[in-house]
Amino acid sequence: MSPNFLTGDWLTYFLLIQKIFFILCSLFYFIFAAIVVRQTISMSKNITDKFNSIIIIFSYIHLILAGFLILSTIAL
Amino acid sequence: MNRSKDLDTIAPDDNIVDSKPESVLVTEEKSEIELTPEIKDEPILKSEPKSNEKTPKKVVFPQKIYDILGHTKSPFSSFLVHPKVLTFPERDTEEEIYLALRPHWFNNFKWIAFTILMIFVPTLFRYLSFLNFLPLNYRFEVTLFWYLLTFLYSFEKFLSWYFNVFIITNQRVVDIDFHNMLNKHFAEADLDVIQDVSSSVKGIFGTFLNFGDVLIQTASEINQINFEKVPCPEKVIKLIRELREEEEQKQDEKGGKK
Repeated sequence: MSPNFLTGDWLTYFLLIQKIFFILCSLFYFIFAAIVVRQTISMSKNITDKFNSIIIIFSYIHLILAGFLILSTIAL
Repeated sequence: MNRSKDLDTIAPDDNIVDSKPESVLVTEEKSEIELTPEIKDEPILKSEPKSNEKTPKKVVFPQKIYDILGHTKSPFSSFLVHPKVLTFPERDTEEEIYLALRPHWFNNFKWIAFTILMIFVPTLFRYLSFLNFLPLNYRFEVTLFWYLLTFLYSFEKFLSWYFNVFIITNQRVVDIDFHNMLNKHFAEADLDVIQDVSSSVKGIFGTFLNFGDVLIQTASEINQINFEKVPCPEKVIKLIRELREEEEQKQDEKGGKK
């Protein structure tokens, strides 16, 4: 009979590792989202156009959602 | 009654008053010229200001540019004629943008289609029960992460298109590119160093939708500037040729004066 690894302590370890992995991923994603905001502002400075402010707002919304992703992963 | 030579008809008995050949008809009460009482009530012929007199410069967009390029209405267009808002930091104060180009909208088709596919992937996974090994709250996380990734992908592609601009001004041609949002490429060439302009339209869609590459050969350090997949390449070439001819004429005039 093969042992079931996803029961008892094994399951706890598995979920913990999974949680750490998710938190790390979302942290990296948040950093990348911050870089995107920085780059969008930089690009907007290089070419000024009508919709630059809207594009910057979108990049900030993306950053906020990335922050929400970290929080929700921690709350799991 | 005194009459001017400039008038179409001159009555044989009238006195003739000399006026300068380049004259404009204006209605003014006062004039530097002393007028005889007989002609005071009539419109005064005022000569144009001399070349050495200082007059405020008015930047007027040439009508012939509109004749070549037509007009643009949408600010999201890939072919912006005389854009009023668009500018770049390297622009001179007296420099005027005649045309701003972005790659043809059809080049966005691939990533838009891919984004739509990506949007439906979580639904497909749910249907095929691929994420069932994960707890329910983790499934939500994965889905949220996937949608953010989808947004990031499409946003990056859109920015690459939106900020990839080719600009033709009254002084030079400018190519501003951003590769993967992190690398900026700026190339420019003055109109007087442009040696040759050529275009190539490739493929079924290029021919059907009229977009292609415009290659500008220059005599400067940057040998060539390539405007990739821009709409109406023939109009772009026509404009550059026209501007180059104007520039040559200006230089000839300067050389003649010297």
